[in-house]
Amino acid sequence: MIPIEYYLILSAFMFIMGVIGVLTRKNAIIVFMSIELMLNSANLTFVTFSSYLGNVTGQLFVFFVMTVAAAEAAVGLAIIIALFRNKQTVSIDEINILKW
Amino acid sequence: MDNTLLTSYLLIVPLFGALFLIFFPKKSDTAVKYFGLLISLVTFLVSLNLYLEFDQTSSEFQLVDKFMWIENLNISYFVGVDGISMLLVLLTTFLTPLTLFSTWGSIKHKVKEFTFFMLILEVGMLGVFVSLDLFLFYIFWEAMLIPMYFIIGIWGGKRRIYASVKFFIYTMAGSLLMLVAIIWLAVYASEPLGVFTTNLLELYKVGPTVPQTIQNYMFLAFALSFAIKVPLFPLHTWLPDAHVEAPTAGSVILAGVLLKMGTYGLLRFCLPLFPQASINFAPLFSILAVVGIIYGALVAMVQTDMKKLVAYSSVSHLGFVVLGIFALTTESMQGAVIQMVNHGLSTGALFLLVGFIYERTHTREIADYGGIAKIVPVYSAALLIASLSSIGLPGLNGFVGEFLILLGSFKSQVLNSWVYTIFAASGVIFAAVYMLWMYQRVVFGEVKHDRLHSLKDMTASEIAIIIPIFIFIVWIGVYPSTFLGLTESASEAIVKQVLSFSTNVIK
Amino acid sequence: MSIEYFLNSLYLIKPEIAVTIFLVLIVLLDLFFSKKNHLLPFFAFLGLLITGYFVIEQFDIKGLAFVTNDSRAMVTVDSFAAFFKTIVVITSLYFVLLTVNSKEMDETHDRRGEYYTLMMGMVLGMFFMISGSDLILLYLSVELVSLSSYVMAGFAKTSERSSEASLKYLIYGALSSGLMLFGISLVYGLTASTNLYELNALIVVSQANSFVLMFALLLIFAGIGYKISAVPFHFWTPDVYEGAPTPVTAYLSVASKAAGFALLIRFIKVSFVFDKDTLGFWSSNPVFNWQDFLIVISVATMTLGNFAALWQKNVKRMLAYSSIAHAGYLLTGLAVLSDTGLIAILVYFAIYLMMNIGAFLIVILIKNKTGSEELDNYDGLGFSMPFLGVSFTIFLISLTGLPPTAGFIGKLYLFMALVDAKMIVLAVIALLNSVVSLYYYIRILKHMFLAKPKENSPKEELSLQQILIVLSLVIPVIFFGLYFSPIVELAKNSILMLGF
Repeated sequence: MIPIEYYLILSAFMFIMGVIGVLTRKNAIIVFMSIELMLNSANLTFVTFSSYLGNVTGQLFVFFVMTVAAAEAAVGLAIIIALFRNKQTVSIDEINILKW
Repeated sequence: MDNTLLTSYLLIVPLFGALFLIFFPKKSDTAVKYFGLLISLVTFLVSLNLYLEFDQTSSEFQLVDKFMWIENLNISYFVGVDGISMLLVLLTTFLTPLTLFSTWGSIKHKVKEFTFFMLILEVGMLGVFVSLDLFLFYIFWEAMLIPMYFIIGIWGGKRRIYASVKFFIYTMAGSLLMLVAIIWLAVYASEPLGVFTTNLLELYKVGPTVPQTIQNYMFLAFALSFAIKVPLFPLHTWLPDAHVEAPTAGSVILAGVLLKMGTYGLLRFCLPLFPQASINFAPLFSILAVVGIIYGALVAMVQTDMKKLVAYSSVSHLGFVVLGIFALTTESMQGAVIQMVNHGLSTGALFLLVGFIYERTHTREIADYGGIAKIVPVYSAALLIASLSSIGLPGLNGFVGEFLILLGSFKSQVLNSWVYTIFAASGVIFAAVYMLWMYQRVVFGEVKHDRLHSLKDMTASEIAIIIPIFIFIVWIGVYPSTFLGLTESASEAIVKQVLSFSTNVIK
Repeated sequence: MSIEYFLNSLYLIKPEIAVTIFLVLIVLLDLFFSKKNHLLPFFAFLGLLITGYFVIEQFDIKGLAFVTNDSRAMVTVDSFAAFFKTIVVITSLYFVLLTVNSKEMDETHDRRGEYYTLMMGMVLGMFFMISGSDLILLYLSVELVSLSSYVMAGFAKTSERSSEASLKYLIYGALSSGLMLFGISLVYGLTASTNLYELNALIVVSQANSFVLMFALLLIFAGIGYKISAVPFHFWTPDVYEGAPTPVTAYLSVASKAAGFALLIRFIKVSFVFDKDTLGFWSSNPVFNWQDFLIVISVATMTLGNFAALWQKNVKRMLAYSSIAHAGYLLTGLAVLSDTGLIAILVYFAIYLMMNIGAFLIVILIKNKTGSEELDNYDGLGFSMPFLGVSFTIFLISLTGLPPTAGFIGKLYLFMALVDAKMIVLAVIALLNSVVSLYYYIRILKHMFLAKPKENSPKEELSLQQILIVLSLVIPVIFFGLYFSPIVELAKNSILMLGF
């Protein structure tokens, strides 16, 4: 059996990749994908702990997270399209009317 | 205790007057002027009635009204007067109608708003003097800032916005510190008393029992707030700006009453609430006061602007008051109270006179005048009386206050040194120098500027404004007992309260 | 689980059910009577009033709904929740009124159905944020609120600013909810539970790895901190507040902040506090030092909010920073970790609702006339629009915290809580912050009253309805400044949280 640490390390790695992606990438779509990566790393953690602890709550949580992720993607893409119609770009750097 | 409501009428009359004013139609400037004057005169009559009801022999707070207000925090609407606040109430109600009347010519736009703010300001000032509950006091104290901000900001001179913002920020910074100290004290008191209270009379009993270190912090928080208002050197920098930019009426009220609230706060709250800390810090504050006396006088000497000169002379005069308070003798305390009134009258008169001539010539530069004695003799005479009163010529009011303060500080056990007296006395001499020099340059000599020839002398209404002030200037100078009698027992009581906790401090 | 029990649970979530029903009804009405959609605001208003009635009913009820096994419940009903739900309902009522009176929203009137559906969705989400007691439900409700508010912020979709605000909101929001989710997953791994009440006992037991636990709690705080715009999770606030339609800004600044605070308070109190002494101070589990952490966050939040506001030229953006600063003041109340601190927070929130909504309302009404939110265009407005000018002055004085307005009472209670806990230094920092805040609030007054008016500045033409709405906020702000016993009594009765 694969030890629990392996799963956790993998999920931590995914999570960190996700955060780095959100913070550094310029393309809104890629930023979005990084966010999905973060959510899925959390899912992996839930499932791992759930099976390790023999407790179903974690599995349950994952279903909800997947639903939320889908909703978030729908809303997010809609907003990106609305913005694209206004500005003809999805690059974060060019979205800069509002600043101090 | 019966609620006679006599003291409350003092607040109710101008407050409702102001609220009623809102419903005046826009174009009715004349009606607004008369109404404002009427209200302030009625307030004066109310305060005279209060004076007649007042028992001068007692040092207790009298004519108190007390109603429970916020039960959760045990805060009550609690007002009353003792001799000191009585005198300051009279000063306030006396000066307000005069200043309102004096603006009839100079304030031409937004008369309604101006009158409204003046009346609200009067409520705030009177409220500060009669509050016997710290919470109530704080509300009046802060509520005054807003009308004053607008009076300076809307009707002021060229740099009015800068001056009004500076005034607001300075005072607010101080008073918020005081708020924390008030809460701290009240929370502290809730242990021995068993309840949270902001009742001043209850706190008088608790304050002295606060341990020395905490008391020092509380004292400093209160004192800083008051020192900014006084203003004590080196916190005075807002004052010249505010004075110079404020309209004449604003300057008169500012010098006449608002500054007194700082010194009043020192002797009503700082000293009795924190006696040990007061004695501890008395030398420090006395030194600052003396520095202020000399600094104010020296800076006044080099001013070229008449209004600024009077403003700096205020710093100097209020230095005397603070010295008198922290000398902690009955004489100096009484002198300080009389000096507060004196300063209100003589500086008020000076600001009014500067305002009168400014309306004619639109300049306050001393160099723009000269030789007006022959052109406007009545004005020159009035300016002379006001200047001499400010200097402290025997026979006029200024002398009484300064003499008592110097005498008291010389005898003072707390200060225990005559150095303060010597340096403070030199301030009197400086005052003579800058005032008389200013007077000489403005009034005597040759007429340098042709347009001065067409200067008109004081009008009947201007004389009518200035005469009542002069009556009191002479009255206090010649027969001060009327006023000293009023303050004697209250001053004694404060000094006694402070010194009774100081047996181990004074050797 | 018996059927009676299920019914009883449903009984306890009556407000939530009402919101859901009206949400569905709005969708249906919009679908079938789309020509008459100008009636939708009235309908939404009615729905909120009915919901409000059910919320007020809950003030003295205590109960757990949807208990699964051994006292684990999804939803907690108590006075504390009722208080915050009331805040949300009142804010939503004003939100409808603000929207109806905003010219900015006129161009979106064909999408009214969506707008009020989203609003109802947010209300539902906030209700569950306030009374949820399981991390699953809390995460879902946070997401429900967030997703609806992303769309709301970008509702004026043809405006570049609005859609930009929306995207920024989305990215920051998704990031912080991702962090929160990961934090929750770690807490779950350490304790094998997602129930707040269970965590209380389990966290102490599972001191296996306190470092991981601390890390997880920080991540969870990121999600909540984002909702209440606490530093360092505040970056979205100014941009979103400036770009979003003003009614939405007002709504976000009060309602979703209230829900976030309710969640944070419940999370800390239920999961970490195990006892309180006779004076009302809470003793919390030693696994995480909430007090020091909150002090640091609150000082950073108010200082940054106030100082950044000093340089703003756009009134909405200035109010955004000011709302960050107010979140900082509120956090100081929580940092005390005592009942007096909690009372102070509740009092402050009730007052903050009135003054902040009021300030945004005036911004909307002024924008209707001048078409601008820039500070320079406020010059002389105090005299050309006296009613709005004076009302704005009162709201700003109240936001500064000067007597005789209600804002002073809020500050007073906060300071009292701090002094009571001997946190004088924190009180002094909060007070110095108020002095700084005075500077930028009076800058608005300066422009309105002291600056020379612009040529042909527009006249003040308000409908009776608008005047009444403004008065309905101005009068309480003054009244509660002078007589605040009712608010304080209400707050005192509302600190009861199920648990102990």
